[in-house]
Amino acid sequence: MEKFDIPQESNATLNGQRKVMYGINESGKFERVNYASSTEEFATQTAVEEFEQLSRESLERIQQEISSPIEYFMYKNRMDLPTLSSVVGMFSFRVKRHLKMKHFKKLNDKILQKYAEALNIDINELKDFNI
Amino acid sequence: MNQRFEHAQFAHCESGVVSTLLSSYGLKISEPMAFGITSSLSFVYMPIVKIGNMPLIAYRNLPKNIINNISKVLGIEMVKKQYKDPIQANKDLTQFVQNSQLVGLQTSVFYLPYFPKDMRFHFNAHNLLVVGKEQNNYTISDPVFETLMSCDENELTKARFARGIFAPKGFLYYPKYIPKDINLSKGIKKAIIKNAKALLTPFPYAGVKGMRKLATKISKLKVDNNERHIKNFLTHIVRMQEEIGTGGGGFRFLYAAFLQEAKAYDLDESILQEASELFIKSGNALREFALLCVESSKKLERFDSQTIANKLTEASFYEQEAALLLKKL
Repeated sequence: MEKFDIPQESNATLNGQRKVMYGINESGKFERVNYASSTEEFATQTAVEEFEQLSRESLERIQQEISSPIEYFMYKNRMDLPTLSSVVGMFSFRVKRHLKMKHFKKLNDKILQKYAEALNIDINELKDFNI
Repeated sequence: MNQRFEHAQFAHCESGVVSTLLSSYGLKISEPMAFGITSSLSFVYMPIVKIGNMPLIAYRNLPKNIINNISKVLGIEMVKKQYKDPIQANKDLTQFVQNSQLVGLQTSVFYLPYFPKDMRFHFNAHNLLVVGKEQNNYTISDPVFETLMSCDENELTKARFARGIFAPKGFLYYPKYIPKDINLSKGIKKAIIKNAKALLTPFPYAGVKGMRKLATKISKLKVDNNERHIKNFLTHIVRMQEEIGTGGGGFRFLYAAFLQEAKAYDLDESILQEASELFIKSGNALREFALLCVESSKKLERFDSQTIANKLTEASFYEQEAALLLKKL
Protein backbone atom coordinates (compact mmCIF):
# COMPACT_ATOMS: atom_id res chain seq x y z
CA MET A 1 0.00 0.00 0.00
CA GLU A 2 1.20 3.46 -0.90
CA LYS A 3 2.10 5.37 2.28
CA PHE A 4 1.62 9.00 3.15
CA ASP A 5 2.11 11.16 6.23
CA ILE A 6 -0.41 13.29 8.01
CA PRO A 7 0.94 16.80 8.57
CA GLN A 8 1.20 17.58 12.29
CA GLU A 9 2.46 21.13 12.15
CA SER A 10 0.72 24.16 13.56
CA ASN A 11 -2.07 26.23 12.12
CA ALA A 12 -2.89 29.35 14.10
CA THR A 13 -5.77 30.32 11.80
CA LEU A 14 -7.89 27.50 13.22
CA ASN A 15 -7.78 29.01 16.69
CA GLY A 16 -7.08 25.76 18.50
CA GLN A 17 -9.45 23.66 16.40
CA ARG A 18 -8.17 20.67 14.52
CA LYS A 19 -9.53 19.50 11.19
CA VAL A 20 -9.54 15.92 9.95
CA MET A 21 -8.41 14.17 6.80
CA TYR A 22 -8.17 10.57 5.71
CA GLY A 23 -5.01 8.68 6.53
CA ILE A 24 -3.94 5.05 6.63
CA ASN A 25 -3.61 3.38 10.01
CA GLU A 26 -1.22 0.58 11.00
CA SER A 27 -3.46 -2.17 9.71
CA GLY A 28 -3.59 -0.51 6.29
CA LYS A 29 -7.14 0.78 6.64
CA PHE A 30 -8.30 4.32 5.97
CA GLU A 31 -9.51 6.34 8.92
CA ARG A 32 -10.02 9.96 9.84
CA VAL A 33 -7.08 11.62 11.55
CA ASN A 34 -6.63 15.10 13.00
CA TYR A 35 -4.03 17.18 11.23
CA ALA A 36 -2.61 20.69 11.14
CA SER A 37 -0.82 22.06 8.13
CA SER A 38 1.45 25.08 8.09
CA THR A 39 1.08 25.25 4.29
CA GLU A 40 -2.62 25.82 4.77
CA GLU A 41 -1.89 28.31 7.53
CA PHE A 42 0.32 30.41 5.29
CA ALA A 43 -2.20 30.43 2.44
CA THR A 44 -5.03 31.51 4.73
CA GLN A 45 -2.92 34.19 6.37
CA THR A 46 -1.89 35.56 2.99
CA ALA A 47 -5.52 35.94 2.02
CA VAL A 48 -6.34 37.65 5.31
CA GLU A 49 -3.37 40.00 4.97
CA GLU A 50 -4.26 40.83 1.39
CA PHE A 51 -7.63 42.20 2.54
CA GLU A 52 -5.92 44.12 5.31
CA GLN A 53 -3.50 45.64 2.84
CA LEU A 54 -6.33 46.52 0.48
CA SER A 55 -8.17 48.35 3.25
CA ARG A 56 -4.99 50.22 4.24
CA GLU A 57 -4.50 51.30 0.65
CA SER A 58 -8.12 52.32 0.52
CA LEU A 59 -7.60 54.58 3.55
CA GLU A 60 -4.81 56.37 1.72
CA ARG A 61 -7.05 56.91 -1.28
CA ILE A 62 -9.83 58.20 0.97
CA GLN A 63 -7.40 60.78 2.34
CA GLN A 64 -6.72 61.88 -1.21
CA GLU A 65 -10.48 62.10 -1.81
CA ILE A 66 -10.33 59.41 -4.49
CA SER A 67 -12.06 56.48 -2.83
CA SER A 68 -15.15 56.42 -0.66
CA PRO A 69 -15.54 54.85 2.80
CA ILE A 70 -17.68 52.15 1.18
CA GLU A 71 -14.55 50.79 -0.45
CA TYR A 72 -12.76 50.69 2.88
CA PHE A 73 -15.58 48.80 4.60
CA MET A 74 -15.96 46.50 1.61
CA TYR A 75 -12.40 45.28 2.13
CA LYS A 76 -12.88 45.20 5.88
CA ASN A 77 -15.75 42.79 5.24
CA ARG A 78 -13.49 40.71 2.97
CA MET A 79 -15.70 41.46 0.00
CA ASP A 80 -14.93 42.26 -3.58
CA LEU A 81 -17.01 44.24 -6.05
CA PRO A 82 -19.22 41.36 -7.31
CA THR A 83 -19.94 40.18 -3.76
CA LEU A 84 -20.85 43.64 -2.50
CA SER A 85 -23.00 44.28 -5.58
CA SER A 86 -25.03 41.15 -5.02
CA VAL A 87 -25.42 41.83 -1.31
CA VAL A 88 -26.83 45.32 -1.91
CA GLY A 89 -28.67 44.15 -5.01
CA MET A 90 -27.31 46.74 -7.42
CA PHE A 91 -25.46 46.45 -10.68
CA SER A 92 -21.74 46.35 -10.19
CA PHE A 93 -21.08 49.36 -12.44
CA ARG A 94 -23.26 51.36 -10.08
CA VAL A 95 -21.52 50.06 -6.98
CA LYS A 96 -18.19 50.78 -8.64
CA ARG A 97 -19.19 54.43 -8.93
CA HIS A 98 -20.14 54.51 -5.27
CA LEU A 99 -16.64 53.42 -4.39
CA LYS A 100 -15.45 56.82 -5.63
CA MET A 101 -15.59 59.78 -3.26
CA LYS A 102 -16.99 62.09 -5.96
CA HIS A 103 -20.14 59.97 -6.40
CA PHE A 104 -20.31 58.83 -2.80
CA LYS A 105 -20.88 62.38 -1.58
CA LYS A 106 -24.09 62.64 -3.59
CA LEU A 107 -25.67 59.47 -2.19
CA ASN A 108 -28.92 59.77 -0.24
CA ASP A 109 -29.61 58.13 3.11
CA LYS A 110 -31.68 55.34 1.62
CA ILE A 111 -28.81 54.02 -0.46
CA LEU A 112 -26.31 54.63 2.31
CA GLN A 113 -28.52 52.61 4.64
CA LYS A 114 -28.41 49.71 2.18
CA TYR A 115 -24.64 49.79 2.22
CA ALA A 116 -24.52 50.13 5.99
CA GLU A 117 -26.62 46.96 6.34
CA ALA A 118 -24.57 45.06 3.82
CA LEU A 119 -21.35 46.07 5.53
CA ASN A 120 -22.68 45.46 9.03
CA ILE A 121 -22.07 49.01 10.26
CA ASP A 122 -24.08 52.01 11.37
CA ILE A 123 -24.99 54.51 8.67
CA ASN A 124 -23.15 57.22 10.59
CA GLU A 125 -19.90 55.35 10.22
CA LEU A 126 -20.23 55.97 6.51
CA LYS A 127 -21.48 59.54 6.78
CA ASP A 128 -18.97 60.77 9.35
CA PHE A 129 -16.05 58.70 8.31
CA ASN A 130 -12.87 59.74 10.08
CA ILE A 131 -9.50 58.36 9.32
CA MET B 1 -36.51 9.64 13.73
CA ASN B 2 -32.98 10.81 14.37
CA GLN B 3 -32.27 9.11 17.65
CA ARG B 4 -29.15 7.64 16.22
CA PHE B 5 -27.61 11.03 15.58
CA GLU B 6 -23.97 11.26 16.53
CA HIS B 7 -21.78 14.24 15.85
CA ALA B 8 -18.63 13.47 13.92
CA GLN B 9 -15.90 15.48 12.30
CA PHE B 10 -15.35 14.97 8.60
CA ALA B 11 -12.83 15.84 5.94
CA HIS B 12 -15.36 17.55 3.69
CA CYS B 13 -18.48 19.38 4.72
CA GLU B 14 -20.97 18.20 2.12
CA SER B 15 -20.09 14.51 2.13
CA GLY B 16 -19.80 14.61 5.92
CA VAL B 17 -23.22 16.17 6.37
CA VAL B 18 -24.84 13.73 3.95
CA SER B 19 -23.16 10.82 5.71
CA THR B 20 -24.39 11.90 9.16
CA LEU B 21 -27.82 12.85 7.85
CA LEU B 22 -28.49 9.55 6.09
CA SER B 23 -26.96 7.50 8.89
CA SER B 24 -29.25 9.07 11.44
CA TYR B 25 -32.24 8.41 9.21
CA GLY B 26 -31.33 4.75 9.11
CA LEU B 27 -29.04 4.28 6.11
CA LYS B 28 -25.50 3.79 7.31
CA ILE B 29 -23.19 5.33 4.76
CA SER B 30 -19.62 6.48 5.28
CA GLU B 31 -18.19 9.78 4.12
CA PRO B 32 -16.00 8.24 1.39
CA MET B 33 -19.02 6.27 0.17
CA ALA B 34 -21.20 9.39 0.02
CA PHE B 35 -18.42 11.16 -1.86
CA GLY B 36 -17.61 8.33 -4.25
CA ILE B 37 -21.07 7.08 -5.11
CA THR B 38 -22.02 10.56 -6.28
CA SER B 39 -18.93 10.72 -8.53
CA SER B 40 -17.72 13.83 -6.79
CA LEU B 41 -14.00 13.75 -7.53
CA SER B 42 -13.09 16.35 -10.09
CA PHE B 43 -10.84 19.19 -10.99
CA VAL B 44 -12.07 22.47 -12.39
CA TYR B 45 -10.11 25.52 -13.43
CA MET B 46 -12.27 28.31 -14.83
CA PRO B 47 -10.26 31.44 -15.55
CA ILE B 48 -13.39 33.35 -16.63
CA VAL B 49 -15.30 32.76 -13.40
CA LYS B 50 -13.73 34.93 -10.72
CA ILE B 51 -14.01 34.52 -7.00
CA GLY B 52 -12.46 37.41 -5.11
CA ASN B 53 -10.64 38.45 -8.28
CA MET B 54 -9.12 34.98 -8.63
CA PRO B 55 -10.08 32.23 -11.06
CA LEU B 56 -12.40 29.49 -9.89
CA ILE B 57 -10.39 26.43 -8.96
CA ALA B 58 -12.09 23.40 -7.45
CA TYR B 59 -10.78 19.97 -6.58
CA ARG B 60 -14.17 18.30 -6.58
CA ASN B 61 -17.53 18.65 -8.25
CA LEU B 62 -19.70 21.72 -7.83
CA PRO B 63 -21.41 22.31 -4.48
CA LYS B 64 -24.72 20.48 -4.01
CA ASN B 65 -23.56 17.70 -6.33
CA ILE B 66 -23.60 15.17 -3.51
CA ILE B 67 -27.00 16.20 -2.18
CA ASN B 68 -28.53 16.20 -5.63
CA ASN B 69 -26.97 12.98 -6.85
CA ILE B 70 -27.32 10.82 -3.78
CA SER B 71 -31.08 10.71 -4.25
CA LYS B 72 -30.71 9.71 -7.89
CA VAL B 73 -28.09 7.06 -7.28
CA LEU B 74 -29.72 5.42 -4.27
CA GLY B 75 -33.37 6.17 -4.99
CA ILE B 76 -33.69 8.30 -1.89
CA GLU B 77 -36.37 10.91 -1.84
CA MET B 78 -34.89 14.17 -0.59
CA VAL B 79 -36.85 17.21 0.46
CA LYS B 80 -35.01 20.28 -0.78
CA LYS B 81 -36.32 23.70 0.07
CA GLN B 82 -35.29 27.21 -0.79
CA TYR B 83 -36.85 30.29 0.68
CA LYS B 84 -37.49 33.87 -0.28
CA ASP B 85 -38.48 34.99 3.18
CA PRO B 86 -35.81 34.65 5.89
CA ILE B 87 -38.39 34.85 8.70
CA GLN B 88 -40.37 31.97 7.26
CA ALA B 89 -37.15 30.00 6.78
CA ASN B 90 -36.24 30.47 10.41
CA LYS B 91 -39.76 29.51 11.56
CA ASP B 92 -39.64 26.33 9.51
CA LEU B 93 -36.24 25.47 10.91
CA THR B 94 -37.47 25.93 14.48
CA GLN B 95 -40.40 23.67 13.66
CA PHE B 96 -38.06 20.95 12.38
CA VAL B 97 -35.92 21.20 15.47
CA GLN B 98 -38.96 21.00 17.77
CA ASN B 99 -40.09 17.85 15.96
CA SER B 100 -36.51 16.63 16.52
CA GLN B 101 -36.06 16.18 12.83
CA LEU B 102 -32.49 16.49 11.64
CA VAL B 103 -31.98 18.84 8.68
CA GLY B 104 -29.00 20.00 6.64
CA LEU B 105 -28.40 23.61 5.68
CA GLN B 106 -26.29 25.46 3.18
CA THR B 107 -24.62 28.53 4.67
CA SER B 108 -21.93 31.12 4.15
CA VAL B 109 -18.85 30.70 6.31
CA PHE B 110 -18.44 34.46 6.65
CA TYR B 111 -21.54 34.93 8.79
CA LEU B 112 -21.03 31.97 11.13
CA PRO B 113 -19.80 33.45 14.42
CA TYR B 114 -18.29 30.24 15.75
CA PHE B 115 -15.75 30.06 12.93
CA PRO B 116 -12.29 31.42 13.77
CA LYS B 117 -11.88 34.94 12.43
CA ASP B 118 -9.19 34.00 9.93
CA MET B 119 -11.39 31.38 8.32
CA ARG B 120 -14.36 33.63 7.72
CA PHE B 121 -14.44 34.32 4.00
CA HIS B 122 -17.36 34.68 1.63
CA PHE B 123 -17.66 31.03 0.78
CA ASN B 124 -21.34 30.30 0.31
CA ALA B 125 -21.44 26.53 0.04
CA HIS B 126 -20.73 25.39 3.55
CA ASN B 127 -22.97 22.59 4.82
CA LEU B 128 -23.96 21.89 8.39
CA LEU B 129 -26.65 20.14 10.42
CA VAL B 130 -29.01 21.69 12.94
CA VAL B 131 -29.69 19.41 15.86
CA GLY B 132 -31.31 21.52 18.57
CA LYS B 133 -32.40 24.90 19.82
CA GLU B 134 -32.12 26.53 23.21
CA GLN B 135 -33.87 29.88 23.46
CA ASN B 136 -32.46 31.81 20.53
CA ASN B 137 -29.46 29.64 19.88
CA TYR B 138 -29.32 26.71 17.51
CA THR B 139 -27.12 23.75 18.31
CA ILE B 140 -25.15 22.92 15.22
CA SER B 141 -23.26 19.86 14.11
CA ASP B 142 -20.62 21.30 11.82
CA PRO B 143 -18.38 18.67 10.20
CA VAL B 144 -15.36 20.99 10.37
CA PHE B 145 -15.45 21.15 14.17
CA GLU B 146 -14.64 18.59 16.82
CA THR B 147 -17.65 19.37 19.03
CA LEU B 148 -21.18 20.71 18.68
CA MET B 149 -21.38 24.44 18.13
CA SER B 150 -23.93 27.03 19.11
CA CYS B 151 -25.16 29.83 16.87
CA ASP B 152 -27.61 32.67 17.39
CA GLU B 153 -30.68 32.40 15.15
CA ASN B 154 -30.24 35.82 13.60
CA GLU B 155 -26.65 35.07 12.66
CA LEU B 156 -27.60 31.70 11.24
CA THR B 157 -30.37 33.27 9.19
CA LYS B 158 -27.87 35.78 7.84
CA ALA B 159 -25.55 32.95 6.87
CA ARG B 160 -28.41 31.13 5.14
CA PHE B 161 -29.30 34.17 3.09
CA ALA B 162 -25.85 35.33 2.10
CA ARG B 163 -25.69 36.53 -1.49
CA GLY B 164 -23.15 36.15 -4.22
CA ILE B 165 -21.84 33.14 -6.08
CA PHE B 166 -23.49 29.86 -4.95
CA ALA B 167 -25.97 31.89 -2.86
CA PRO B 168 -27.75 29.40 -0.57
CA LYS B 169 -31.17 31.14 -0.52
CA GLY B 170 -31.99 29.41 2.72
CA PHE B 171 -31.38 25.97 1.24
CA LEU B 172 -32.56 23.22 3.60
CA TYR B 173 -32.67 19.48 3.01
CA TYR B 174 -33.47 16.15 4.60
CA PRO B 175 -34.37 12.66 3.33
CA LYS B 176 -38.08 11.87 3.19
CA TYR B 177 -37.95 8.29 2.06
CA ILE B 178 -35.09 5.80 2.02
CA PRO B 179 -35.72 2.51 0.20
CA LYS B 180 -35.19 -0.58 2.36
CA ASP B 181 -33.25 -2.74 -0.09
CA ILE B 182 -30.52 -0.51 -1.46
CA ASN B 183 -28.12 -2.35 -3.70
CA LEU B 184 -24.89 -0.42 -3.42
CA SER B 185 -22.73 -2.57 -5.68
CA LYS B 186 -24.55 -1.64 -8.88
CA GLY B 187 -24.51 2.05 -8.04
CA ILE B 188 -20.84 1.95 -7.09
CA LYS B 189 -19.69 0.49 -10.38
CA LYS B 190 -21.70 3.02 -12.34
CA ALA B 191 -20.47 5.89 -10.19
CA ILE B 192 -16.82 4.90 -10.57
CA ILE B 193 -17.06 4.66 -14.33
CA LYS B 194 -18.95 7.94 -14.53
CA ASN B 195 -16.29 9.63 -12.42
CA ALA B 196 -13.45 8.15 -14.47
CA LYS B 197 -15.05 9.46 -17.65
CA ALA B 198 -15.52 12.87 -16.07
CA LEU B 199 -11.83 13.03 -15.19
CA LEU B 200 -10.94 12.19 -18.78
CA THR B 201 -13.32 14.73 -20.30
CA PRO B 202 -12.09 16.43 -23.48
CA PHE B 203 -13.30 19.77 -22.08
CA PRO B 204 -10.00 21.59 -21.49
CA TYR B 205 -10.89 23.29 -18.21
CA ALA B 206 -11.92 20.22 -16.24
CA GLY B 207 -10.52 16.92 -15.07
CA VAL B 208 -7.03 15.83 -16.06
CA LYS B 209 -6.91 18.40 -18.85
CA GLY B 210 -7.94 21.16 -16.47
CA MET B 211 -4.99 20.32 -14.24
CA ARG B 212 -2.65 20.64 -17.17
CA LYS B 213 -4.32 23.88 -18.24
CA LEU B 214 -3.59 25.32 -14.80
CA ALA B 215 -0.03 23.93 -14.99
CA THR B 216 0.52 25.74 -18.30
CA LYS B 217 -0.84 28.93 -16.77
CA ILE B 218 1.58 28.60 -13.85
CA SER B 219 4.56 27.87 -16.09
CA LYS B 220 3.91 31.13 -17.92
CA LEU B 221 3.87 33.27 -14.78
CA LYS B 222 6.60 35.89 -14.67
CA VAL B 223 7.64 37.74 -11.57
CA ASP B 224 8.42 41.19 -13.08
CA ASN B 225 6.66 43.78 -10.95
CA ASN B 226 3.87 41.38 -10.43
CA GLU B 227 4.93 40.00 -7.09
CA ARG B 228 1.77 40.67 -5.20
CA HIS B 229 -0.39 39.03 -7.83
CA ILE B 230 1.81 35.94 -8.04
CA LYS B 231 1.83 35.56 -4.30
CA ASN B 232 -1.94 35.89 -4.17
CA PHE B 233 -2.47 33.59 -7.12
CA LEU B 234 -0.27 30.80 -5.78
CA THR B 235 -1.74 30.95 -2.30
CA HIS B 236 -5.22 31.09 -3.81
CA ILE B 237 -4.59 27.74 -5.49
CA VAL B 238 -3.37 26.36 -2.19
CA ARG B 239 -6.39 27.68 -0.32
CA MET B 240 -8.78 26.10 -2.77
CA GLN B 241 -6.92 22.84 -2.32
CA GLU B 242 -6.35 22.85 1.44
CA GLU B 243 -8.78 25.13 3.16
CA ILE B 244 -11.80 24.65 0.94
CA GLY B 245 -10.53 21.25 -0.02
CA THR B 246 -9.21 19.14 2.73
CA GLY B 247 -5.73 18.42 3.97
CA GLY B 248 -3.64 18.90 0.86
CA GLY B 249 -5.22 17.06 -2.03
CA GLY B 250 -7.45 15.53 0.61
CA PHE B 251 -10.14 14.74 -1.93
CA ARG B 252 -7.72 12.33 -3.57
CA PHE B 253 -7.20 10.53 -0.27
CA LEU B 254 -10.94 10.58 0.29
CA TYR B 255 -11.53 8.99 -3.09
CA ALA B 256 -8.77 6.45 -2.47
CA ALA B 257 -10.57 5.52 0.74
CA PHE B 258 -13.78 5.11 -1.25
CA LEU B 259 -12.10 2.77 -3.73
CA GLN B 260 -10.84 0.66 -0.83
CA GLU B 261 -14.35 0.51 0.56
CA ALA B 262 -15.70 -0.43 -2.86
CA LYS B 263 -13.71 -3.65 -2.74
CA ALA B 264 -16.39 -5.17 -0.55
CA TYR B 265 -18.92 -4.90 -3.38
CA ASP B 266 -17.90 -7.60 -5.77
CA LEU B 267 -15.76 -5.57 -8.16
CA ASP B 268 -12.32 -6.26 -9.59
CA GLU B 269 -10.16 -5.84 -6.50
CA SER B 270 -6.82 -5.50 -8.26
CA ILE B 271 -8.04 -2.58 -10.36
CA LEU B 272 -9.50 -0.86 -7.32
CA GLN B 273 -6.28 -1.39 -5.38
CA GLU B 274 -4.08 -0.04 -8.15
CA ALA B 275 -6.30 2.97 -8.82
CA SER B 276 -6.53 3.70 -5.12
CA GLU B 277 -2.75 3.77 -4.85
CA LEU B 278 -2.54 6.05 -7.88
CA PHE B 279 -4.90 8.51 -6.24
CA ILE B 280 -2.75 8.47 -3.12
CA LYS B 281 0.24 9.26 -5.33
CA SER B 282 -1.70 12.08 -6.90
CA GLY B 283 -2.71 13.38 -3.47
CA ASN B 284 0.91 13.29 -2.39
CA ALA B 285 2.03 15.11 -5.54
CA LEU B 286 -0.64 17.74 -4.92
CA ARG B 287 0.58 18.19 -1.40
CA GLU B 288 4.14 18.73 -2.63
CA PHE B 289 2.70 21.08 -5.23
CA ALA B 290 1.01 23.14 -2.49
CA LEU B 291 4.24 23.21 -0.53
CA LEU B 292 6.14 24.47 -3.59
CA CYS B 293 3.51 27.17 -4.16
CA VAL B 294 3.83 28.36 -0.57
CA GLU B 295 7.61 28.28 -0.56
CA SER B 296 7.73 30.35 -3.74
CA SER B 297 5.25 32.85 -2.30
CA LYS B 298 7.47 33.26 0.73
CA LYS B 299 10.60 33.78 -1.36
CA LEU B 300 9.68 35.00 -4.78
CA GLU B 301 13.31 35.20 -5.90
CA ARG B 302 13.29 31.42 -5.69
CA PHE B 303 10.11 31.15 -7.72
CA ASP B 304 10.57 28.48 -10.35
CA SER B 305 7.39 28.31 -12.36
CA GLN B 306 8.41 25.22 -14.30
CA THR B 307 9.05 23.04 -11.23
CA ILE B 308 5.68 23.93 -9.77
CA ALA B 309 3.88 23.32 -13.04
CA ASN B 310 5.62 19.97 -13.44
CA LYS B 311 4.41 18.83 -10.03
CA LEU B 312 0.82 19.52 -11.01
CA THR B 313 1.29 17.78 -14.34
CA GLU B 314 2.72 14.80 -12.49
CA ALA B 315 -0.45 14.57 -10.41
CA SER B 316 -2.54 14.80 -13.56
CA PHE B 317 -0.77 11.79 -15.05
CA TYR B 318 -1.46 9.66 -11.99
CA GLU B 319 -5.10 10.56 -12.23
CA GLN B 320 -5.25 9.87 -15.92
CA GLU B 321 -3.75 6.43 -15.37
CA ALA B 322 -6.18 5.72 -12.54
CA ALA B 323 -9.17 6.89 -14.54
CA LEU B 324 -8.19 4.76 -17.55
CA LEU B 325 -7.94 1.75 -15.25
CA LEU B 326 -11.27 2.41 -13.58
CA LYS B 327 -13.07 2.82 -16.88
CA LYS B 328 -12.39 -0.87 -17.50
CA LEU B 329 -14.32 -2.02 -14.43
